[in-house]
Amino acid sequence: MKFGNLLKKELRELITKQALISMVFTMVLLIVMGQIMGGAMEEGFDTSTITLCNQDDSEFTAEVLKKIDASQSTKINYVTFESDDYAAELERLDIKNAVIIPQGYGESITEKKEPALIKFVSKMSTAGLASSMSTISGSDVISEIQTVCMNEIMSKNYGLTEEEIALIREPMTTVEYTVNDGKTAQVSASALGAISMMQSMIAPFAIFFLLLMAAQMIMTAISTEKIDKTLETLLSAPVSRMSVLSAKMVAAVISALLNALFMIVGFALYMVGMMGSAVNEISTAANEMSGVDVSVMTDSITGVGQAMAELGISLTPLSYVLFAIQLFFTLAIGLAISLILGAMATDVKSVQTLIMPIMIAVMIPFFVTMFTDVNAMSPVFKVIIYAIPFTHTYTALTNLMNGNMLLFWGGLAYQIIFFAVCMFLAVRMFTTDKLFTMSFSAESAMKKRGKKTVSNEQ
Amino acid sequence: MAAVLEVKGLSKKYPKKDVFAADGVSFTVDEGEIFALIGPNGAGKTTTIRMISTLIQPTEGDATVAGHSIVKEPDKVRENITYLPDEAGAYKTMTGNNYLEFMASLFAKDKDTLEKYIARGKAICGLGDRLEEKIGGYSRGMIRKLLLARAVMTEPKLAIMDEATSGLDVINALEIRKMIKNLAKEQHMAFLLSSHNMLEIEYVSDRVGIMTGGKLMVVGAIDDLKERYEAANLEEVFERVVKDNEVR
Repeated sequence: MKFGNLLKKELRELITKQALISMVFTMVLLIVMGQIMGGAMEEGFDTSTITLCNQDDSEFTAEVLKKIDASQSTKINYVTFESDDYAAELERLDIKNAVIIPQGYGESITEKKEPALIKFVSKMSTAGLASSMSTISGSDVISEIQTVCMNEIMSKNYGLTEEEIALIREPMTTVEYTVNDGKTAQVSASALGAISMMQSMIAPFAIFFLLLMAAQMIMTAISTEKIDKTLETLLSAPVSRMSVLSAKMVAAVISALLNALFMIVGFALYMVGMMGSAVNEISTAANEMSGVDVSVMTDSITGVGQAMAELGISLTPLSYVLFAIQLFFTLAIGLAISLILGAMATDVKSVQTLIMPIMIAVMIPFFVTMFTDVNAMSPVFKVIIYAIPFTHTYTALTNLMNGNMLLFWGGLAYQIIFFAVCMFLAVRMFTTDKLFTMSFSAESAMKKRGKKTVSNEQ
Repeated sequence: MAAVLEVKGLSKKYPKKDVFAADGVSFTVDEGEIFALIGPNGAGKTTTIRMISTLIQPTEGDATVAGHSIVKEPDKVRENITYLPDEAGAYKTMTGNNYLEFMASLFAKDKDTLEKYIARGKAICGLGDRLEEKIGGYSRGMIRKLLLARAVMTEPKLAIMDEATSGLDVINALEIRKMIKNLAKEQHMAFLLSSHNMLEIEYVSDRVGIMTGGKLMVVGAIDDLKERYEAANLEEVFERVVKDNEVR
């Protein structure tokens, strides 16, 4: 009963209305950002309508445009430029971009037998990604015109049939195989790389937030109790110190998980919002332009999943369970260290200073594992990075996926030992008067540093 | 009357400090008695109080509360005491009611006792409807009244209070002093107080102990001490004891 009341009290302290509002706000912000980014990309990828200004009156050009008109995918919006002032023309016609086929385009190809000139004008509407996307879509349109031109030249000048042209355009099909751990599967290594990168992006991001949230929560909880002297009242009441300690830790885990859940849902929806529409657009555009069936692309994605299973690099339910155990110990270590550090705080400022070591210990392996392979580092760095207990959780998914079980179990064993030591220290602190005698004040630390500087100067 | 608190040669030396914060402190507090520790800043009052409250462990000596040793049976001691620290706060996200309920739940062994404690707490604090509000919006005086009510609602054998009326205005402080006197007289609760306010101590306490430099110099009933030091009031007694000690 007492533990339940303590836990309820801790949760009430941590999960306040304000905290919930900020969690929901962060999630909504991420979703909205994803939608905005997705919308911008969608706009950029819009290739269904071409604004075209044809200034060439040759038969060849007329034939090419007829063919493009006939293709169902692209609608041409014909416009006429009255001058060479492109800025004024785009403004007048209220369009963002236009492909210009200049006078002599057809003649250049058919008579002079030399490459013709084609122009693409686009207005820089937004800074960054969207504007560069619009340029990409412009070049896609031009390459479509180019394809039709090539087909025309090959059939008119050389009398080739449609089949012959198709063969020239695609004389071979590549079949890629990837080998891993003695197994072979029909899949391209780059496709595998892209998928495992997506996996290794989301998991560390979640761990990173979970750890920092939990650390910050328990540090604030314990230091506030100490500063407000509510801890003295609580610990002089007939309640076991272990239940006070465990209630604090359980509450921090619960609120950190809640926080991480909002964050991850937000982040996932952000990715879906941003990438989802773009992926759709690309596949639709690819389908319409080259006549490739979308189902083939979907098949190829499922194919990658199968190939991963064949290669033994996919995650089984057991790997997820092992990963969860790993994550639990990481969180427990983070909480135990935060508890010890938080109990040393004598004011709010010192909480901010005391959280630094945890932030650094969480951030270093986060970035190292994201940008490089720890095993490929020099032995000294390898030892340093592996000595940080959090590293083993960042590398756990990759180790489980690639079947490096020795590294996984070694990491887990190290974490369990590390946790036992931290917990021993935390319990010792809570059951002795260390909780009230240990202190770290940011101000006194500053003063000491100041004194040292002064004495050095003297 | 039986002694509720017996302090026997209690000493505390903090790590990295050369001197004892409390040095061989001994005194007793009887049932229904109000005993006050007075002394200048750093005299060792709070250290002594914290040891008796089982928050810190003594380096030497022991104390018993209702027969239980603070060193060997701190859990039993905690069942018999309540402690009100100086300048203490309360959980800001809780309402006054929530706070009383939470604290009572740590002491009560059954539902009936729990409800009795809560009802007493509500009546003693005198905050009325304000108990429905979050503590975050309370004034310092309101928080102190809530904490005082919390400290006595469970009818502990010994209530330990560091600067009981700090932050309260004259009227409220007067009420609290009366309340302490009544509880000692009618409920036979023992009180261990610590204060800088000599007027308050003179009004409320039965006996005082004057501490300086970690040592308990003098213990006695207020009238006896005034007579012994030929002083008009407790302030003068205090001044003489502290000065005598400095001269030595």
